[in-house]
Amino acid sequence: MKHIIKIGSVLALALITWNCSEKIDDIVPENALSSDVIFSTFGTIEAATIGIYDGMQDGDFIGSPEMFQDYSSDNVNFVGSFTTLQDIRDFDANATNGSVAAMWFDVFDVIRDANNIIVNLPNVNQEDVSFTVSSDAANFETLRTQFLGEAHFSRALATFQGANVFAQPFQFSNGSSLGMPLVTEFFEGDISPFQNARTTLNETHAFIEQDLILAMNSLPETNDIRASSTAAKALLARLYLYREQWTDAATMANEVINTNGFSLAPDFTFYNNPSTEHIFRVINQANDDGFAGIDFDTFYNPTSNNGRGDMPFSQDLIDAFEAEPGDLRLDISIISVDAGNNDARFTSKYPNGATGESDPNVLRMGEVYLNRAEANFRGGTSIGDTPLNDVNAIRTRAGLAPLTTLTLDDILLERRKELCFEGHRRMDLLRNNLNLKPDNGAISAPGSDKVILPIPDDELNINPNAQQNPGY
Amino acid sequence: MRSKLTLMLTPLLVLCMTFSFAQEKTISGNVSDQNGLPLPGVSIVVVGTSNGTQTDFDGNYAINASTGQVLRFTYVGQKTVNRTVGSSTTINVQMEDDAQALEEVVVVAYGSQTKEKIVQNVSIVGEEALENLVVTSPDQLLQGQAAGVNLTNTSGLLGANVNIQVRGVNTINAGSGPLFVVDGVVITDNDNTFARGGQVGSNPLTFLNPSDIASLTVLKDAGATAIYGTRGANGVVLITTKKGTVNTDATVTVNNFTQFTKVNDLFQGLTADEYRQFRTDVFNIQNGASVAPQALGLGAIGDPGTDFVDEISRTGFTQHVDVSVRGGSEKTTYFVSATYEDAESFAVGNDLTRAAVRVNLDTQANKWLKIGTNIGVTNTLLNTIGRENNTFAPFTSAFLTNPTFIPRDVDGNFLRSPNFIPNIAAVAELNTDRTENTRIIGSIFGEATLAPGLKFRSEFGVDRINSSSRLRSVEIVTAGGSANFFTVEDYLYRVTNSLSYAKTFGEKHNLNALVLQEFEERRRRTTQVSGTGFLSDDQLNVGAATTQIVDASNRSGSAIRGFLGRISYDYDSRYLLEVTGRTDESSRLGVDNNTGSFYSVAAGWTLSNEKFFDVDFIDFLTLRGSIGTAGNDRLGNFPALALFGTNQFGGLASANVTSPANTQLGFEQTRTIDVGIRSSFFNNRLNLNVSYYKRNTTDLLFNVPVPEQAGTATVSLNAGEIQNSGWELELSSTNFRSQDFEWTTSINLSTLDNELIDIVSNEIDNEGRKFIETGAQRAIEGESLSNFFLVRFNGINSQTGDAEWLDIDGNVTTTPNFNTDRVVAGSALPDLTGGFTNTFRYKNFDLSGVFNFSIGNQVLIDGLRFIDGFDAIGGTINVRRQNLNFWRNPGDQAFLPSPASPTANNANQRSTAQLLDGDYLRLKNLTLGYRLPQSFLEKTKFLSSVRVYATATNLWTIKGDDLDGIDPENNDTNDPLGLGESFFTAPQAITYLVGLNVQF
Repeated sequence: MKHIIKIGSVLALALITWNCSEKIDDIVPENALSSDVIFSTFGTIEAATIGIYDGMQDGDFIGSPEMFQDYSSDNVNFVGSFTTLQDIRDFDANATNGSVAAMWFDVFDVIRDANNIIVNLPNVNQEDVSFTVSSDAANFETLRTQFLGEAHFSRALATFQGANVFAQPFQFSNGSSLGMPLVTEFFEGDISPFQNARTTLNETHAFIEQDLILAMNSLPETNDIRASSTAAKALLARLYLYREQWTDAATMANEVINTNGFSLAPDFTFYNNPSTEHIFRVINQANDDGFAGIDFDTFYNPTSNNGRGDMPFSQDLIDAFEAEPGDLRLDISIISVDAGNNDARFTSKYPNGATGESDPNVLRMGEVYLNRAEANFRGGTSIGDTPLNDVNAIRTRAGLAPLTTLTLDDILLERRKELCFEGHRRMDLLRNNLNLKPDNGAISAPGSDKVILPIPDDELNINPNAQQNPGY
Repeated sequence: MRSKLTLMLTPLLVLCMTFSFAQEKTISGNVSDQNGLPLPGVSIVVVGTSNGTQTDFDGNYAINASTGQVLRFTYVGQKTVNRTVGSSTTINVQMEDDAQALEEVVVVAYGSQTKEKIVQNVSIVGEEALENLVVTSPDQLLQGQAAGVNLTNTSGLLGANVNIQVRGVNTINAGSGPLFVVDGVVITDNDNTFARGGQVGSNPLTFLNPSDIASLTVLKDAGATAIYGTRGANGVVLITTKKGTVNTDATVTVNNFTQFTKVNDLFQGLTADEYRQFRTDVFNIQNGASVAPQALGLGAIGDPGTDFVDEISRTGFTQHVDVSVRGGSEKTTYFVSATYEDAESFAVGNDLTRAAVRVNLDTQANKWLKIGTNIGVTNTLLNTIGRENNTFAPFTSAFLTNPTFIPRDVDGNFLRSPNFIPNIAAVAELNTDRTENTRIIGSIFGEATLAPGLKFRSEFGVDRINSSSRLRSVEIVTAGGSANFFTVEDYLYRVTNSLSYAKTFGEKHNLNALVLQEFEERRRRTTQVSGTGFLSDDQLNVGAATTQIVDASNRSGSAIRGFLGRISYDYDSRYLLEVTGRTDESSRLGVDNNTGSFYSVAAGWTLSNEKFFDVDFIDFLTLRGSIGTAGNDRLGNFPALALFGTNQFGGLASANVTSPANTQLGFEQTRTIDVGIRSSFFNNRLNLNVSYYKRNTTDLLFNVPVPEQAGTATVSLNAGEIQNSGWELELSSTNFRSQDFEWTTSINLSTLDNELIDIVSNEIDNEGRKFIETGAQRAIEGESLSNFFLVRFNGINSQTGDAEWLDIDGNVTTTPNFNTDRVVAGSALPDLTGGFTNTFRYKNFDLSGVFNFSIGNQVLIDGLRFIDGFDAIGGTINVRRQNLNFWRNPGDQAFLPSPASPTANNANQRSTAQLLDGDYLRLKNLTLGYRLPQSFLEKTKFLSSVRVYATATNLWTIKGDDLDGIDPENNDTNDPLGLGESFFTAPQAITYLVGLNVQF
């Protein structure tokens, strides 16, 4: 009897421990979501898709590159004290420049979240996913296709952003020079898929085109604040324009213009407000903590509007506006003093210096009209409308008299005034073989090594296949 | 207090006034050891009198005594002999070796072992060493007391953390502190409160009353730590609280002390007038002007000023009382205690109140079942202050604040500071920073004897902490006021079941075996809310704020499941062998690699037990060695998982990758080889233990940069290797011993050699070596982990008045490149550390001094960049007195360059100017005690022991001149790559304490 009690109690206690032991698998994160969880419910799959846009909120993805394109060309007079930005302004950045490193990293930060969807979502079985809304379950395949489309659009956008600043433009050598490394895998411990060599620019552009065509065919025409097939078309139009595929560019731009729900806004109140003008923009709200990089809107704003006062209009840009008085687009600005306490004019396209709530435009109708105009003009076509009519549509909205004849210079000047501070000027100059700076120095001339950024040390150090740009 | 003492002592003194007389005669004789050899120096007393003598070199003695009285013969290492005086006048005595010293039982992991047979390498701070040492926090019991244990206090504030390293630094990113185990319960060392500047958190051991502690055992070699598996790599500190003994009458101990605390050495800043003159002189020289201080807005010479250090420091007053009852009946032993302590530090706003109870109980419930419990419950209330690089830290901002600022208006109301350094006097006085903490650490166990020698034991242990912290900054300090509230529930529980077997075969084969299964789970829930915009300082809580934020609401955890076994075998106490194995499964690591196995083999040969061993003066000699492994999994709770953080985009919920997965992530492995001797000489009057170890940690848990194209900065990997090696020496000696006087010395020394053998890094230096850099330090492959990497400051040129540095080639320059001219300039790790204790006992007086020291390390005081030089923070803050000595004329041996020198504003750039030799020797604890004589006590028929004592801590420190005003003990981070760095540290306190310990 005694022995039975003893052995019984031993077994009972051993059993308690055994039960406890199963709990080792119960220890899971309770705030952050693990990858097991993220693809187990529809809500988290959708959140992971939207998470791609979250990465775009980082100022080093949309913001820094736009600023860089402004102040390394003739629209902005950079007077700030950040030495890394001064070096970029002076075409003197090197591979250790922290601002350049952040721009490079953020391209792949967005691609990472896109590839999470592209790589993992196709393998998800609907039976393994729980739904709270029955229509989501019923439409799962459609929604899956849509999410994949958003991911492909985002990967294309990120790769394109990177190619524009880290690679010489198509015009440099017909696209045979170095482009971007193409990343198609999601990191799970093995680093080898992330030590790619750079492809040629033509290969990079083909990759972007392929992603955008897939997105165009997967996405609805309108998609609220998220990427739509119209956005994919608008980005394709820009890609083709940069590649001088005039017919393709005009055709894509024309398709966008003919899409219901998108039209030129009647005035310039569309900045930071919903409008038919917008095709795709990055929404920032005050309570987003995604805005982790440089708050680019503080650079564009004077101290009187909670900014740094680092990036006022260049005199060259003011002269361009004042050459034809009455341009309403010059009024999208405030007169104040810059960081050096000099009188200066600042753009008010990003009005919220203090809160980081400004919504940078990525694709909007003004650009699409001008893309169609330039492509038709260069290609000698009138797909959709004549280049003169398209340019005049833009001029009329800006309060200027219509032109009667049109030159390429007219189109480029209109692009400059319409799209200043939105990150287009540098590429427009380079691809049209124009010097980035009014003083025509050799260092800022198209074809100069320094008109593109160096590949950062962080990439070179850990990737044996990395290739630096010539001249760095 | 004093009147109570008098009341207690008076009747005792009266009782002692009785004398007795009897017929005396002279007794003589010879004393020999068990081999018949004469024993010199044996003390002989007539019991109950103060009459005593000693044997001479031939072992002969003579003493006066009366028939019926008892002679007591005592000698170190020999059993005490009592002889009653009869009719004979000759009493010869042959004494026997007292093996008790070696039979003393030592607490080891998951059990105990006799000192003689222990083959593990452990350092023991036993009850004897602790008996007369009065400290206010248990970690202080380790400082300077155990070889291989390097303890650095982070500051002298109450509740401040300590940085403890057992045998060097073994890791880079994973936790580097040892595991603490209290009565078998692994305890957490999470920092359960706000960051207050620095990165050191608060002391996890404040909950424990030092007088409850019976012993501390530090497990060092793999033979000792392998059994802790994944948690053993950084060493283990076993804390054992006092237990009762069977068949012992209850002893009631009342211990009571009062302590005064004052601030130690501090920087000397300029007075207001000196400041006015200094700033004005500098301005005039730099601008070729000759203006008066008024012109610079500093007021006139003679206007009032403030000594801010005086505003924030005070003499602290501490009251402590603890009461314990200890004893045992035939079947049950008990130790019950209660403690109350109300402590104030030298810093205004820093107090610690602790109330604690403890019950340690076990009983032989029936023939085969023993049950028991050890439970301690502690409530602490800590009022604390900011520290280190933090404008709210009094012992930072008081140095920096411009001394011409007057903190109060004429009515005595605090004024708001005109700049970003708050009115630090108001911060210290008015702000609230309060942490209330309830902690329960306890276990219950049952032990069944299944057959002779075969036992089954089951134990359930828990460490539960409820902590809430409240910060409230008032209007005058923070416009609108601010409040933060932080609560933590930290819970650890642990279940073990074990079978143990002990048997002696054939008289000489001794076997002990243990198998054990263990499960441990930790859970931690945190909630933090904050608010700003209060209408009134009377609104204390976040709920009253106009803006409220939930900063954190989180729960996280980890679990370990382990199976372990240990076999200890010895043959005739001559050949000793112990083998340990453990397998752990941890929730923290990658699914493919979350199980780790650890082992150790330890062996010993006790030469002194061999028949051929015949060296008279050696009592005990054993050679021992061990090899084995232990692990570390402390890199956060989920380093192996891909995690997605939630956010939003334009109002839509979003999730994106915050950390990548590594399903392969495994344990950090530390392999230790350890060899040594343990020995006793001259009838155990001299004990010497020496050991050498080499410890290699591989598969470092490391956050490694991944290729940029992965879109993620780092991934947790097992990569790299660190080696620590060193010698350890422990020596204790009874230098002199007679009946009235005894002098004992114990010394411990440890050397440390640390080398980073391999790391993963993209950064490569000029010599092609990989390195990792953090601020002032650079860990370079092939060098020590904790090297300072700085430009060398070369002082002020006495002819030109320029500050000079050395460039990378060692050439003097006035325009160094503060990036590329850096070189390895020192190490944060000491070459030699240790301590020594001298104890003197004269009649009933005892005097002991504990010294500790550190040699060969440097400390970087980053705050010197601010309080030295002309221009820190626009030249608006106070400076040290040394700065008055700036260069004026050729030939000046100046501290600062000429204000007109082009180097004037670079002199305080980070360089070796802030790197100081950290060598020091400190009298950590000095205690003088007096025990009332036994003869008095016997007559009270009530009291069994009364001891009056006085203790002073940190009374005396030897350190370099450069450390004037700077405490050599400082550390503002536990990060292995930032050791030895501080901004400003509140120094170690000088304390004076008087106490009374009464037992009855």
